[in-house]
Amino acid sequence: MGDRADSVDSAEGKRDSRLRVGVPRALAFYRHYPFWRAFLEGCGCEVIASPPTDMGIMRAGTEACVDDICVAVKALFGHAAWLAEAGVDAVLVPRMVSVEKKPYDTFTCPKLIAAPDMIRHGMPGSPEILEFVVDAKRRPWWWGCLSLGRRLGASPCRIWSAWKHGVDEQGRYEGMLRTGMMPDDALRRLEGGVEEPPAYLGQGRVAVGLVAHHYLLGDPLVNNRIVRWLHAAGARVVGSSKFTWCEIEEEADALPPLSWSYEKELLGSVARFMRSGEVDGVVYMTSFGCGPDSMIMEMVRRELRPRWKLPLLEIVLDEHSAEAGIRTRAEAFVDRLPARSVN
Amino acid sequence: MKMAFPHMGNAYIPLRSLVENLGAEPVVPDRPHRGTLERGLLHAPEFACLPFKVTLGDCLNALDKGADTLAMVSGMWACRFGYYGRVQHMILRDLGYEFQSVLFGGERPADIWNKLKPVVGWGAPRKAAGALSVFRAKAAAVEEVEARLRELRPREVRKGESDRLASRLLRRLDEADTLRKVRMLRGEAREALAEVRCREETDDILRIRLVGELYVLLEPALNLDLVRRLGSDFRIEVQPVLSTYKWLLCSLWLDPRLKVEAVKARRLTRPYLPYVLGGEEHMTVSGTLTARREGFDGVIHAYPLTCMPENICRTLLPKICRERDVPLLSLCFDEHTSPVGVTTRLEAFIDLLRSRRLSREGKRGSGAYAVPAAATAPWD
Ligand code: SF4
Ligand code: SF4
Repeated sequence: MGDRADSVDSAEGKRDSRLRVGVPRALAFYRHYPFWRAFLEGCGCEVIASPPTDMGIMRAGTEACVDDICVAVKALFGHAAWLAEAGVDAVLVPRMVSVEKKPYDTFTCPKLIAAPDMIRHGMPGSPEILEFVVDAKRRPWWWGCLSLGRRLGASPCRIWSAWKHGVDEQGRYEGMLRTGMMPDDALRRLEGGVEEPPAYLGQGRVAVGLVAHHYLLGDPLVNNRIVRWLHAAGARVVGSSKFTWCEIEEEADALPPLSWSYEKELLGSVARFMRSGEVDGVVYMTSFGCGPDSMIMEMVRRELRPRWKLPLLEIVLDEHSAEAGIRTRAEAFVDRLPARSVN
Repeated sequence: MKMAFPHMGNAYIPLRSLVENLGAEPVVPDRPHRGTLERGLLHAPEFACLPFKVTLGDCLNALDKGADTLAMVSGMWACRFGYYGRVQHMILRDLGYEFQSVLFGGERPADIWNKLKPVVGWGAPRKAAGALSVFRAKAAAVEEVEARLRELRPREVRKGESDRLASRLLRRLDEADTLRKVRMLRGEAREALAEVRCREETDDILRIRLVGELYVLLEPALNLDLVRRLGSDFRIEVQPVLSTYKWLLCSLWLDPRLKVEAVKARRLTRPYLPYVLGGEEHMTVSGTLTARREGFDGVIHAYPLTCMPENICRTLLPKICRERDVPLLSLCFDEHTSPVGVTTRLEAFIDLLRSRRLSREGKRGSGAYAVPAAATAPWD
C-alpha cells in the first residue's frame, strides 16, 4: 500500500504513466459521476468505474459488512473490493457531509459522511483512498475539488479547467435526468451509443412516480428491476431524480424543516408528484436498515398521504429481496390504479 | 399542566424534580418493560430504531396516566434522534390522543423562554435557577450511587445486597425536594454503601468497558439488564462510557468538565472519524482506544439494530481492537434478541478474558516467553 501512496503523491513526476483512479459505482456515483470523470481526467488521471452491480459484487459487499447496515453501503463495499482487485492505484470515495447551506445544520446521512472511514478502516485489504469532501455548510463546493486536485498534483490552472469541464458534463447529465429517466440510463446515454429515450418514459395506461435515492433508482440489481416490472404492467415510470433543487425547495418550504438534505429531496418529490397530478400513484423505495428513510416514510404516510390521497406503494429492498416478490407487488399496484382520464 | 417525558435509566429522578420545581405536575410513566416495548411496536414504524419504539410506548403509558403535555428533546441532527419527538407526536395524534407537545433542542434562550413561559409564569428566572440546582444535585447523586453500585456488585458477599440498598436510596432521593435534603441523602448514601460487606479476595475481578449507543447502555429494559447481570452474575466490574448524568448535564452546559471530556474524546476519534455523525460515536471510539491503557480487560459494544452511528463504529472497531490488542464483543439488540443468546455469548467472551488475564499473569510471574494464548480466538 505504501508505494501506492507514493504514486499518488508523485503523480506530477510520472505524467506518462497516468494514475489509475477507480470510482465505485455506488452511493454518490449516481449523482456526480459525470463531474468526477471529467474532473479526474482533467487532472491527469485515468478513470476506471466499476461495472454495474452483479451478484458477485453484492456478495463480496455483504460479506465485508456488518449485517444490519443498509444495502447501499454493502454495494459500496462490493464495488470497492472489485476495484481493489482490479489493481487501481487509488479509489475515489466521496464524503458528502452537507450539500446545502442553510441557517440550520444540514447533513446527508451518517453513512455518507463516514463512507471513506468505513472503507479505510473496515475493509480488509482496503485500497488507497482519495477523499472528496463536500461540506457545503462550512466550505464552498470548489474547496473539495481544489484539495483533491492538489493531492493529485495538478496545478491550479489545470484544476480550474478540469472543474469547468466537469460542471459542463454534470449539466448535460442533469439535463437528461430532468426527463425522468433513471440515473443508470442517463449515464449510459451520456457515454454515447444509445440515443432513443428509454421505453418506460413512453406511453402507458397509467403513470407512476418512483421515489428513491439515486443509488436505488439507478441500480437494477438492488431494486430488482422494478422499473421494468412497473412498465411491463402498463405504467409509464418517472424517477424522482428529475426534480431540480428549486422544485424540491418549493415543496419543502411548506413542510417542517429537515436537516437531511437528501431525505428532504425524497419528501419533496413525493409531495411534488402528489400535488402536480403528473402521476397516478407513487412507489416509495427504501433500503432495509436505512435510518433516515425509516423516519421519512412515516412522515410521508402521516403528513403527505392524508392530504392528497394518492395511492402509495412502499417497498423495502435488501440483498435478499426476491425479484418475483417485487414483480408481483409492482403488477398488483399498477393494476389497481384507475386509468388516466387525460393523456 | 401535567407534563410527561420518556424514560431513560434513572434520568426520571432528576427530571421529575426539574418539572416539579418549574411549577408543572410531572407524570412519570411506569419503568419500561417488555409490555412497553410491545405497545410501542404496535404503532412505531417497523424500521425505526429500538429506542424509538420503547419511548413511544412510554409516551402511551404516560398519556394513559393522564399527561396532557409531552416533552422531548429534538434537533436538526444527523441522526434519527432529532426527529423522535416530531414523528412520535404525529403518531400519537393520529391515534386520537390530544396533548401539547414541547420539543426542546438547539434553540436560542429566547425560544426556550417562550416555550416555558406558559408553564412557569413570570417568576421563571428565579424558579429556574432553583430548579436547575436541585436537578443538578440529584443527577450527581444518582451518578454517584450508580458508580458505587457497579463497583460493589462483583465484590459484595451477599449477592444482591447493594442493589436492594441502592434502590431504597434512589427511591428516597426521588422523594427529596430541597437541595438540603438531596445533599444530606447523598452523604447518607455514601455511608450506607460503604458498609456493604465485601469479599477479601478481589484481584480476580475482570474489568470491562461498555461502549455503544446511549439508550441501550442506560436502559435496563432494552439491554436485558446487561450492566446488573455482568456485575452480580458474572462478577465483573463494568464501566459504561456514558451515564445519565453526562447526557443530561453536558447538553445543558451545567458541568464544564463534561464538555472538556467530550472535546478530548472527539480529538482521539478524529483519526478514525473526522466528522460528527450525530450519535455517541466519539465516546464509543475513544472509549475503545483508551480501554487497554485504563486497565480494562475487554470491551463490549452494545447497540440497537440498524443504529447508524454505531453501525459505522461497528465497522471500525474490529481494526481498532486488533491494533490496541483488546478483545471486543459486539451485542446488537432488537425486539427479538433472546436473553439466552446474549448469556451464551457473554460466557464465551468472559472465558476468553479470563484465559488472557491468566496467561498474562503467568508471563509476568515466570518471566519466560508465554504462548500468545487466546489472542487468536474468535472475538466477534
Ligand atoms: S440514506 Fe439510507 S440508504 Fe442511503 S446511505 Fe444512508 S442509511 Fe444507507
Ligand atoms: S443513535 Fe442509533 S439508536 Fe439513537 S437515534 Fe441514532 S440511529 Fe437511532
